[in-house]
Amino acid sequence: MGTLDFLLNGFAVAFQWQNILFAFVGVVIGTAVGVLPGIGPMSGVALLIPITSTLTSGMPVEAAAASSIILLAGVYYGAMYGGSTTSILLNTPGESSSVVTTLDGYQMARQGRAGAALSIAAIGSFFAGIVSLIGLVLLAEPLSRVALKFGPAEYFALMLLGLCAVSGLAGKSMTKTLIMTVSGLLLATIGIDGVSGIARFTYDLPILYSGLEFLTIAVGLFALGEVFKTILERDKESGAIAKIDRIVPTKQDLKDSAVPIVRGSLLGFFIGVLPGAGATLASFFSYIAEKKFSKHPEKFGKGAIEGVAGPESANNAASGGALIPLLTLGIPGSGTTAILMGALIMYNVQPGPLLFNDHPEVAWGLIASMFIGNLMLLVLNMPLVKVFAKIIQTPKKYLLPIIVAISFFGVYAVQYTTFDLYLLLACGLLGYLLAKNDYPLAPLVLALVLGPMIENNMRRALTISNGDFSIFLTRPLSLTFIIIALAWLLIPLLMKFKGRTVVVNEED
Amino acid sequence: MWKKLSIAVLAGTLALSLTACSSQESESASSSYPEKGITIVAPSGAGGGWDLTARAIAKTMNATKIIEEPIMVENKPGGGGIVYLADFATKEAANDYVLMVNSPPILINNDKAEGNSPFGYKDTKPLAQLTRDYGAIVVQADSEFQTLKDLLEAIKADPTKITLAGGSAPGSMDHLVGILPAYEYGIDPKSVKYVSYDGGGEAVAALLGNNADVIATDASTIAEYVKSGDVRVLAVSSAERLEGVLSDVPTFKDEGIDAEFTIWRGLFGPKDMSDDAVKFWSEKLDELVETDEWKAEIERNGWQSEYRNADDFTTYLEDQDTVIVELLTALGMQK
Repeated sequence: MGTLDFLLNGFAVAFQWQNILFAFVGVVIGTAVGVLPGIGPMSGVALLIPITSTLTSGMPVEAAAASSIILLAGVYYGAMYGGSTTSILLNTPGESSSVVTTLDGYQMARQGRAGAALSIAAIGSFFAGIVSLIGLVLLAEPLSRVALKFGPAEYFALMLLGLCAVSGLAGKSMTKTLIMTVSGLLLATIGIDGVSGIARFTYDLPILYSGLEFLTIAVGLFALGEVFKTILERDKESGAIAKIDRIVPTKQDLKDSAVPIVRGSLLGFFIGVLPGAGATLASFFSYIAEKKFSKHPEKFGKGAIEGVAGPESANNAASGGALIPLLTLGIPGSGTTAILMGALIMYNVQPGPLLFNDHPEVAWGLIASMFIGNLMLLVLNMPLVKVFAKIIQTPKKYLLPIIVAISFFGVYAVQYTTFDLYLLLACGLLGYLLAKNDYPLAPLVLALVLGPMIENNMRRALTISNGDFSIFLTRPLSLTFIIIALAWLLIPLLMKFKGRTVVVNEED
Repeated sequence: MWKKLSIAVLAGTLALSLTACSSQESESASSSYPEKGITIVAPSGAGGGWDLTARAIAKTMNATKIIEEPIMVENKPGGGGIVYLADFATKEAANDYVLMVNSPPILINNDKAEGNSPFGYKDTKPLAQLTRDYGAIVVQADSEFQTLKDLLEAIKADPTKITLAGGSAPGSMDHLVGILPAYEYGIDPKSVKYVSYDGGGEAVAALLGNNADVIATDASTIAEYVKSGDVRVLAVSSAERLEGVLSDVPTFKDEGIDAEFTIWRGLFGPKDMSDDAVKFWSEKLDELVETDEWKAEIERNGWQSEYRNADDFTTYLEDQDTVIVELLTALGMQK
């Protein structure tokens, strides 16, 4: 049988009435999980595992495995749709992968374009979902082999490229951007080092052993920072948010978003395939790329729809891409796929090189159901946009306490510690002070994600090469990334040197 | 209509998130233990030995109705188990509703010099040993190394040329399994290059992608890749040959290396676990190991059954701790 036959069989599985129902329940819960901060896709999927095993208990093992993985995967990619909502409306990222959406999404909402931002996020997510599925069907096997070739040196070079690209997140001053990046890298070293197991900067406080939680810092800096700003600067701004004129994006919006959505989908898919890179990185990379390719980069951070369309497509595509190493190699690329893997193992289905041979019903049923699930999500999300967009019209005196409550609730639900609540408050205050003084927040958050990955992979690579740094230059993929990274840094400088005016930054 | 739906959805998630909170609260247990769902933590990513053990316990306990309350499995990776053990020994010390699966690293991490964990098995309440597994030395299917001797000769000739990888921190279990035969063969264990990955899955990926020449991992988890023909197991650390997929694989002893390493896996409660909860689990675990479902689970995972109850297990841990310290001392890696 060819791929097409398998896929058709998969659709036969996915179109069974109970599986359509399972997919629907999955995506509805997923959307809700995505909307609510705190319950991320990971805890959402984990919480549902016992419920699905009860629901499917009467069925034959193979069919039960297919049905429950269809539901759980629905939660997983449904959450990626919903994740943008609070980022756009409340500047409160619900998932780490939608942190970057706050940058332009929230600005759009303030300008009364919340409807357009939410719709474009849903449309982009849908397109990305379909792209990543086609990729999954056609390229799973070859791509999993490429992903394996990604050794420590390649990861290091890719992450380095990401770090060099932080200039794309710069505000007015490059110096301040660099200060924030380095601060992020430093904060990332707190905790027990994953390579050697040595505790760093923990001062023997067990609470610090697992490091600082990324989501706590992101929610504090972005959401609470904004709350403090609104309270403290009440008099300066009238605070009136533009009325929402329309829910659907304008023709111009759609035109501006088309290319970013395609680019974000492809970029997100390929980053998603790499184990460990994940949706957060994909969304950051997409944002940076869009700003770089844009004809009007100055609009970014002030409500550019491309800044929503690209990253939101990318994080969804990445979640599809992340299924490739899981299904074909048995190697989970992210926390959530790790839990999905656990769910499969519970049903005696071992993800790995033999999955597509041993359990075609499960593997192809899952893929086919994702086509259906993505369609459901689009149909479900477009009308919800109208409901959600109204949130922004809530008067500030009600809205601010809600944001504070959601932030605290969300952080506590992930971390269960009061320490994180203090950290959240501190980050909120810091976020306000930093933003007030034009220190961009995004580079710090990105550096916090990249820091451990850069460090661990660099050390692994150097162990392999016996401490010889040429390993980063002799491996073709790694060399390519390093050349791109250098070009990213040097070309604007060279152009400036030649006397051309380029928008590197507006520093005087 | 949409408003209604969205409210329903929000209410649903709210309920969900509330369960998420409540499952972590610590309560003083009365004899009515357990009053709610219990969480078993695998202090690693999904798919490794700890994770599979935790899931096997949770699944079988619930499926056989020995324990009716839902048992959830959570993965808390980091530092080869050190990160979560710190939480377990401090934050969760009196929480009867969180248990942990562990194995020799709980001893090794506490005994080794580099990357030492301040916490060990004494900061927990050992409940039972459930299974036994062994270490395996694994290369790619098309590797030039056909036997353990080939590999050891190559390391002896030039240790800088061979990269050994594993899913645990330096000085921890995978590393020990990997360098133990090298040490017995007369190679300076410190000269063997070891690259640590975050869990056995990533280590296998490194091997398949040619980013490691050889990996040390668990015999049970590698079977799947042996079946698919991707890897070759050079030797296992058991005293006698294993059954099943790995029955053709020689032991260290078959290869003339005088070494053995047993990976026991067991269930641990928090240090200040209430007597009621300890009693409850001791009885339930006694019952569990006798069921056909549990035996099937053990066979499917390629483990061997070895049950020790709380008291025997604690004594065994004391013995094993001495063994580990001796081993680390021989390797010059003791605390």
